[in-house]
Amino acid sequence: MASAAAAPVAVTGSGVVSPIGIGLAAFTDAVFAGRSAVRAHAIDLAGLDVPLVPIAAADFDAAAVTSPSRVPLDRATAMALVAADEAAHAAGLGDGSVAGERLGIYWGSGMAGASTFETTLRTVYVEHRRMRPTSVVTTMPNAATAELAVRFRARGAALAYACACASSAVAIGEAMRAIRSGAIDVAVVGGSESLLTPGVVAGWQAMRVLAPIAADATADVAARACRPFARDRVGFALGEAAAAFVIESIAHARARGAAWQWQLAGYASNCDGVHITNPDAEGQVRAMRAALADAGLAASAIGHVNAHGTATLAGDAAEAMSIAAVFGAHAVPVTSTKAIHGHLLGAGGAVELLAAACALVAGRLPPTANTASVDPAFAIDLVTGNARPAPQLRHAMSSSFAFGGTNAVLVASRCE
Amino acid sequence: MQSSTFAAISSALVEGFQVDAAAVSPESALDQLGLDSLALMEFVFAVEDRFDVRIPEDRLDPRQAGVTLAQLATLIDEAVALKARGNG
Repeated sequence: MASAAAAPVAVTGSGVVSPIGIGLAAFTDAVFAGRSAVRAHAIDLAGLDVPLVPIAAADFDAAAVTSPSRVPLDRATAMALVAADEAAHAAGLGDGSVAGERLGIYWGSGMAGASTFETTLRTVYVEHRRMRPTSVVTTMPNAATAELAVRFRARGAALAYACACASSAVAIGEAMRAIRSGAIDVAVVGGSESLLTPGVVAGWQAMRVLAPIAADATADVAARACRPFARDRVGFALGEAAAAFVIESIAHARARGAAWQWQLAGYASNCDGVHITNPDAEGQVRAMRAALADAGLAASAIGHVNAHGTATLAGDAAEAMSIAAVFGAHAVPVTSTKAIHGHLLGAGGAVELLAAACALVAGRLPPTANTASVDPAFAIDLVTGNARPAPQLRHAMSSSFAFGGTNAVLVASRCE
Repeated sequence: MQSSTFAAISSALVEGFQVDAAAVSPESALDQLGLDSLALMEFVFAVEDRFDVRIPEDRLDPRQAGVTLAQLATLIDEAVALKARGNG
């Protein structure tokens, strides 16, 4: 007997702070319009050997956000709180219908407080100031997890996941498993990342994975710097964001009268176990197939893939090969929204799942902005130009393939 | 205690640590402001930085019961005076 699909998990609230919009409405609008938030930024750091780097920053005032624990907040943690508030409000989390000990926090971040730590160390080494008493709790990897737990009085498991660019996808998937297992009923899940300080940006630039921007580039040219799966792809832009979801067992959502339009159907994670940066198509294929099996779906049931799609030479080549291996040549419409919101690192999996959910709910596929001509070596159906109508869309996949070799794949379904 | 010192301390509490202005008086005890021990240490750091002085650890443990804002202000005044004499 074939194994039965594991139970789906309802997504009853979503929230987002991103370069392409704060709040679900603005985000959705930009995703379908393919509106890029990538700009050219000068980095104030001696020794950086390029004048400009592509950055997608969020129009976000972290100073306006108060810590539930009354300690200084890292910018990413402030974003996490705002995104999670939106998701919790949509889900009706504060209405007393969720027991705190049955509520968990599962949160992902690649480098968490690295940005604040860099800024703090700068004041210590350059200005000879003191480390603050709160410097440890502001920058620890589970800072956002802890603040969210206090905000929502969550007394189930509160776990922080760090697996580079798969962090939030893993956090969401592991929460889904915890709900299926009965360990908790509800979780606030997602991820946050804000690493736009000079030292961290310089680290990424040193790897030569950021799209180069000429000193005389116009704003329009800078906005098109990231071209996923294109013949002329040259790398990505760094972005900052947080995305949050309230997820819960179907039984729990029904019992408290919650409404939802889409649900999580499957999840898998594995590791290439090959190299710390080089992607490996074999590991990606195994992860996508395992996520399909977890959802109880055939590859042909998937109507849309939101790809990892970083626009690097090696990354896109491996992923295009993996997608064709799992789905067949040109068999499933693929989008990379990184073209417009940048590489969101630990927050990327959550934000891109949200973009995939936008497609499910609207029955439209967002375009891969900026890519005019797909690399002829790739046997994939890339959605380019304008959003594509997809009224029959039922199931979508979102993939995150991280440094460290961690692959995490989520499958989401529109509700009937 | 200089009144300007107390004013600076109370504005740091109200603006930086969200303490209700009505709860801030010279007689207020540090451990009665609703701040946890970590926030208390941050607050003392912030006040020291504002006046560019350090209160020696053996003169003040802000977590100790009953230490008042007036006492803190007096310690700040002493540290400022010490520094002005070139010994700070």
